Amino acid sequence: MSPILKIFALPVSLIIICLGVLTILGGHITPGGGFQGGAMVAAGVILCVVVYGVKDSPIKFSHGFISAIESIGALGYVLLGLAGLFFSGFFLYNLGADFYNILPQTIINIFHYSDPTNAGIIPYLNIFVGLKVFVGLSAVVIAFSEFKK
Amino acid sequence: MVLHLGPIIFGFIIGFILGTRLNTNSENAVKLTIASFIAIFIVVLIMAWQIGPYPYYYDLPVATGFVSSAIGLIIGKVIFGK
Repeated sequence: MSPILKIFALPVSLIIICLGVLTILGGHITPGGGFQGGAMVAAGVILCVVVYGVKDSPIKFSHGFISAIESIGALGYVLLGLAGLFFSGFFLYNLGADFYNILPQTIINIFHYSDPTNAGIIPYLNIFVGLKVFVGLSAVVIAFSEFKK
Repeated sequence: MVLHLGPIIFGFIIGFILGTRLNTNSENAVKLTIASFIAIFIVVLIMAWQIGPYPYYYDLPVATGFVSSAIGLIIGKVIFGK
């Protein structure tokens, strides 16, 4: 790739990654969410992989990192669902909002997301989905880039 | 004024995770110095100001998740990056 692209790509990809994180964090009250934000974060990583190549990419995901983040995303989602099942009897019950008024205040305070909306566990689900999507999409492109003829 | 900690904390965490993977010392890739990161951070602050208090948070006049993820990226790079 040309030197202009090489100078341009990394700062832009960092800003794209920050925008992706912002989309993940606003997913419960604005368009967007975990998948869309995660795809934006992956777009920043993919931009670096395309411009610099897999070996020289400034944002490198090892196999261990990818598997760890995928596992954290999937396990976090399932554990939040199981926490709802344990405390309320409903899988993925919104423990931070408690619309049925069946939980003690302590549990609600633990799972409540700190913002003015009463979103409960929805932002946490968005974050876990975002983690899973950004490493998943990045892994696809990294794997395809490493194929040789 | 009540500061909403949710986007600040989780933006920082996700940015930190990604910052640990940053490697700017590769031979063929671009080399970013400290001055480059300061310039990127100034651009991030201007962008956060233009985005405004997204999404519907009015604690600060900037997008706090955007700024905290940029701070997390830089701190992750400084601590664990190469």
